[in-house]
Amino acid sequence: MYKYLLQSVEGIQWFGITALLIFFTAFCVAFLRAALSSKDDMQHMANLPLDDK
Amino acid sequence: MSRIEQFQYDNRITRAFGMASFIWGSVGMLVGIILALQLIFPVLNATSTGLEFLSFGRLRPLHTNAVIFAFVGNGIFMGVYYSLQRLLRARMFSDRLSWIHFWGWQVVILCAAYTLPMGITTSSEYAELEWPIDILITLVWVVFGINMFGTILKRREDHLYVAIWFYIATWVTVAILHIVRSIEVPFSAFKSYTVFSGVQDALLQWWYGHNAVAFFLTTPYLGMMYYFLPKAANRPIYSYKLSIIHFWALIFIYIWAGPHHLLYSSMPDWVQSLGTVFSIMLIAPSWGGMLNGLLTLRGAWDRVRQDPVLKFMVVAVTAYGMATFEGPMLSIKSVNAISHFTDWTIAHVHVGALGWNGFLTFGVLYWLWPRMYRTELYSVKLANMHFWIGTLGILFYAVPLYWAGWTQAMMWKQFTPEGTLAWGNFLDTVTQIIPMYAMRVFGGTLFFVGTLLGVYNLVKTGQKGNFLANEDAEAPARQSGKVVLAVGEHWHRWIESRPIQMLLFSTILIAIGGIVQIFPMVFIESQVPKIASVKPFTPLELEGRDIYIREGCVGCHSQQVRPFRSETERYGEYSKSGEHIYDRPFLWGSKRTGPDLARVGGKYPDSWHYNHMLDPTTMSPGSIMPAYPAMLDNELDLSDLPNKIYALRKLGTPYPKDFEGKAIADAKKQANKVAENLKSQGVKDEGMENKEIIAIIAYMQRLGTDIKAQKSATQK
Repeated sequence: MYKYLLQSVEGIQWFGITALLIFFTAFCVAFLRAALSSKDDMQHMANLPLDDK
Repeated sequence: MSRIEQFQYDNRITRAFGMASFIWGSVGMLVGIILALQLIFPVLNATSTGLEFLSFGRLRPLHTNAVIFAFVGNGIFMGVYYSLQRLLRARMFSDRLSWIHFWGWQVVILCAAYTLPMGITTSSEYAELEWPIDILITLVWVVFGINMFGTILKRREDHLYVAIWFYIATWVTVAILHIVRSIEVPFSAFKSYTVFSGVQDALLQWWYGHNAVAFFLTTPYLGMMYYFLPKAANRPIYSYKLSIIHFWALIFIYIWAGPHHLLYSSMPDWVQSLGTVFSIMLIAPSWGGMLNGLLTLRGAWDRVRQDPVLKFMVVAVTAYGMATFEGPMLSIKSVNAISHFTDWTIAHVHVGALGWNGFLTFGVLYWLWPRMYRTELYSVKLANMHFWIGTLGILFYAVPLYWAGWTQAMMWKQFTPEGTLAWGNFLDTVTQIIPMYAMRVFGGTLFFVGTLLGVYNLVKTGQKGNFLANEDAEAPARQSGKVVLAVGEHWHRWIESRPIQMLLFSTILIAIGGIVQIFPMVFIESQVPKIASVKPFTPLELEGRDIYIREGCVGCHSQQVRPFRSETERYGEYSKSGEHIYDRPFLWGSKRTGPDLARVGGKYPDSWHYNHMLDPTTMSPGSIMPAYPAMLDNELDLSDLPNKIYALRKLGTPYPKDFEGKAIADAKKQANKVAENLKSQGVKDEGMENKEIIAIIAYMQRLGTDIKAQKSATQK
């Protein structure tokens, strides 16, 4: 039953493009977040393994 | 100022997983050496002496499972249980859960060590364990998850370091992969059939198989790299910003790359292309991570010369870089046309397994043991020796196999000026590369000897030191359990401090790839064109197929003819997806140590198969295939047949209603026919119709013949 339901989904061929766009967006957001983060924050995070005593 | 709390880190559980990793690793490597020797000296298969469980086909999955899930698996838990506690400034959530996790995982390994040599296997690579063990794995994984998230929730450090993101992504993705791949219908206490068949099962398998590499062998080890490399080098990671991009890009892209295991197969083109594109994209985050690791050592390279821990880690990260460059290259279709089905793939995975996983595990162990035992390493000299022997071992393993793979591929594809195959006898392409196989044994043995030196060194370190089971620590109590963002702080800080949201985001990202690739393939019928003449296996053929699965034939024989002239000339017409719709599980394989069998049906007389199973060298002088004389003696057990037919019918195989009641009689009838046929071809043995050999012959003679029937009907 569900097979026919899915087949009838209009524009199912856009799934691939949508996925690529989601990836592109996720990547850009991660990149921007990394690029814009403050140096102090990054230093604090990077030092977490060394300050664990 | 918040109150300072005193607590203790649990080192016992770290030590237990570390020891298990070393012990199982040694066993897995030893089995690898035995397998490598069997390819040179087939008599070592010992099947002629009644020890079927020692045959290559049955031991190969034991080797891969031991290395992946026992050696690396215990290595992951060792690294996670040590670093998680310290990064979160908290003891593990529950000591009891830690130990249930530890012993549960060891029981899974013991079950695998028993069932795989016994021939109880699903035959799906890296998911060979049968359904009861699958359930046990799920339970143990849930225990691990509760323990990990419990610890994260009771932490004293607000922010989650990037290593923990990798651990979270690992946990959720492995859970999804394992559950989806293990959806199967049991037909007996220990055996089952996969829900999906043929091309769909293949896609699901390599979505799983590839991501077992990604999320079991890679992401948790990247988490360990991000923790232990800065610790060993005593300097923070080169770029924390890069690690953020590395994480999100890697987990998203990895999940798509599975179809590169199925290039030129009968998988639809759009899926293959998607797999190739995402595989090539993978270079970027992978190399971002590698460079982040190596650049952490900037200004500390002088220490790499003296410290064996750093030496192991540098080679590990370099091997990661090499393997993750090679992987995308092998995903390019024109390269894959050469490399696939050859030993090139075996060399590639061993650069990853020996170099990346092996050496990072050793590096971490050498770093951890002296700290947990509050002493110096027993012998730095011995550790250095281990490093050099291991490095040489990797080289002696990989280089000959690259050579072997290339040589064999060239021989498979070479034509004479007259247009016939230059090496028409497949066996010639095998005997040519036996010297390379011998060199591989040398390399593997070197690596194994190095591992034993490591075991000795760590045992001696333990003896000389004094184990610190509970390590005192203190940290300020976490105030409200909530992080208040200051003005201008970023949303990512918010996620970093919220593990459950991190889990959800990771799940969504990794789910997208699976959904887009698998849903259309599984749910849209037009993706798998049907062929009218392709019919379900007869009951006897089904029994034969299950014997084929039991003996692990798929480890050396593919059933997928690619659309190249060199293959259609050698094997016959290329494979179509519609031919495999009743294959549960699919048996396309990924390595051709022997020839492809997709069209072996009708190629030889029944008596040829009979004699070939008794002793392959009588039919193919120089063959390295194990002999299977027991198949001529073992009684054919048809007792499960009604259940098998019932399970397959429920899954959609169009057996007539109530056929399960007639299946045994049908099988016996066909068995008598095959036995008569053998007699007419000069085989004189008595009672053949009741032996396993009959079923396997029936199955082999069926392979690839359905579309020939269609052709002859069309011609008429």
